[in-house]
Amino acid sequence: MSRLFRKTMTWGSVLLMLTLVLSACGGSKEKGSESSPAASPKASESAKPSESASAPEDVKLTGDFEIQYFVGGYGDAWWKEVIGEFQQLHPDLKIKESAGPKINDQMKPRWIQGSPPDFVYIDGAGSNTRQMVTDDQLLDITDWFKTAQNSDGKLLSDMLIAQPEEYQAGKVHAVPLVFGSWGTFYDKALFKDKGWEAPKDFESFLALGDKIKADGQMSVYIHTGVYPYYINGGLLDPAIVAMNGYDTSIVKKINSLEAGVWSSEPVKKALDKIVQMRDKGFFDKGSPALNHTDSQSQWLQHKAAFIPNGLWVESEMANDTPAGFDFGFLPSITQDNGGKYVANPYVATVAIAKKAKNPDAAKAFLQFLYTEAHGKSWAELSKAPSNIKADLEATNAPALTKEASRFYNSDSTVVSPEVVIPEELVTERNNATLALTKGDITPEEWIDRMEKATEKIRSKENK
Amino acid sequence: MNNAKRAGSARMKRNVFILSFILPTLLLYLVFGIYPLFKGIYLSLFDWSGGSETYNFIGLDNFKEMMNDDVIPKTIRNDYILVFGKIIGFMLISVFFAVALTRFNIKGSGFYRTIFFIPNVLSVVVVGVLWRYVYNPNVGFLNSAISAITGKTYDFAWLGDKWSIFALLPPSIWAGVGFTIILMIAGILAIPSSLYEAAEIDGASQWRQFRLITLPLSWEQIKTSVLWIVMTTLSGSFVIVTIMTFEGGVDNATQVMGSYLYMNAFKFGKFSYGSAIGVLILILSFITTVALQKLMNRENIELT
Repeated sequence: MSRLFRKTMTWGSVLLMLTLVLSACGGSKEKGSESSPAASPKASESAKPSESASAPEDVKLTGDFEIQYFVGGYGDAWWKEVIGEFQQLHPDLKIKESAGPKINDQMKPRWIQGSPPDFVYIDGAGSNTRQMVTDDQLLDITDWFKTAQNSDGKLLSDMLIAQPEEYQAGKVHAVPLVFGSWGTFYDKALFKDKGWEAPKDFESFLALGDKIKADGQMSVYIHTGVYPYYINGGLLDPAIVAMNGYDTSIVKKINSLEAGVWSSEPVKKALDKIVQMRDKGFFDKGSPALNHTDSQSQWLQHKAAFIPNGLWVESEMANDTPAGFDFGFLPSITQDNGGKYVANPYVATVAIAKKAKNPDAAKAFLQFLYTEAHGKSWAELSKAPSNIKADLEATNAPALTKEASRFYNSDSTVVSPEVVIPEELVTERNNATLALTKGDITPEEWIDRMEKATEKIRSKENK
Repeated sequence: MNNAKRAGSARMKRNVFILSFILPTLLLYLVFGIYPLFKGIYLSLFDWSGGSETYNFIGLDNFKEMMNDDVIPKTIRNDYILVFGKIIGFMLISVFFAVALTRFNIKGSGFYRTIFFIPNVLSVVVVGVLWRYVYNPNVGFLNSAISAITGKTYDFAWLGDKWSIFALLPPSIWAGVGFTIILMIAGILAIPSSLYEAAEIDGASQWRQFRLITLPLSWEQIKTSVLWIVMTTLSGSFVIVTIMTFEGGVDNATQVMGSYLYMNAFKFGKFSYGSAIGVLILILSFITTVALQKLMNRENIELT
């Protein structure tokens, strides 16, 4: 009896497990089938080729239209809303959404096989706009973009804070939709408590750092050593632009992998800032072993005063933020006395697939997205700044988003282009910078390594 | 006549019976073992990003690039630090505990066996995360303990140093040693106790008994354990490295071949180069396994 009972229980639990596993598979399958190729890849027959690039309402859109968008920290509320509006505008269009946190991996086979969705929002793990351009997956919209207008009749390019990155010289493939910036963060409440003042330039930063060190309660500067692109984005890149006399052309030189850019004077000076901070012992010694959550939570617990990060940190750490913590943001800390702030942006882009079956709908959707109203609704629904110029003061956007947007709109801030270099070079730079902060290598070695790694990629890309 | 027919059909039945076991397994093995293996080797001859529709055949260029890649020697070094560190750690601990739990009459040896085996049941991911907390420089258990003992704040970044690869040894050993302990216990228990009794009467010390009876007669188990460690480490060290040091630690300090393969294939858009690293892993595992097997081939001692 008891043996029978045990046997039944065992088999029952095995069955239960199996069902669970299978149903889990089934669940994801369902999502997968949602994103499987459309049964009838009917191109829009009635739509004229919209070379005129007029406001999208004029054209009647039909056929299938598939949108791929990644769902991450920004959620999908905004996408649901705008797609709903777009559907109302074009009732004959069959819109299909392929979305989710794993969508980049799920859709990859279709991009490889040449039957991609029409419109794609490129963000999240496993996505890389530059790589997609290299792989020739995105539609070249250079000419169209020059004259394209949004639904309000304004020129599309006038609506953007950051202009499209030229992954290939002179070509536009993708339009930035999300715009945020890297920077240095601190706790305003703590600073008020201690009587510290947020630094305005590198000199005052060093002075304050000495004070914090003397105070002995916390280290000056903690960073995410496991992912050193945080310190590259928050500290080094703005420093390079500041040391170049706020001339952002140096970022273009970096992005086009120009020989000798890493050994140029501005980069040397920027590296020297890191060396100065290192020699003063400002870097938290534990940093090299910390990932973003570790470093951020230790910063929130006042184990360190400053942290280089991105604007997403507020919503990312919402559940771990102690009461009374007041996020403060500085675009950069390395500028000379009396200099400007340099905001180093990060963007996520939208693009049209080269093999889109309904490019007209995709173009119309692009024009539909970039309106001031949608910029505001993005800030409210996604709790982060977008790349659409909009006055956020009167909206419900989070305080940090508003503060950042005040910086972007101010004359004392220079918005630099984003550094977009091949992933391999990103990693080499991560490694070199982290080694520099630890004193394992000298700035000269840093420069040497970067020049070599860039040369290697350059020779490959020119093949 | 009739008899022969019956024998024939019986043999056929037997063959069908055997085939019904072999065929599905063989099929699965071909699909999930052999095909990916050859596909990987095949892909390593191309220049494919992993996302594009075009494959360019470039012959052995990926392997030439590997020769000039400064990270590759580091990854091989790290892999072998793990392999030999793990062999030494595993064998010392498992032989010691296996002998202690079988030869010395310790109370509750069954309880200890369970305790040692528990980490094996945990996923390596859990082990990695647990040990990240142990090693955490500012709030971790290890540094807190050192600070408490010495009375000074100790904030060494165990996982953020040039030699962090050694910090990965304790968690990997802790996570897997239960298996080899069980294996050794089984080996030792299979040795007839009469041998030990005879040795006892002859006045052999415990150490001599271990050296002359336990070690030679459980050599097969030791050999199996060592080969198991080598193979699982070379192909699976990726997990512990990625969980504990993410992208390979400070300046590739903990990068192993597997994790570097992953970085290339899925991060740098160099899927083919990743496949080439996979071929390197295959070759090195093969050489190491064969070499160790030769080295450890002692004369088999048979009980008569």
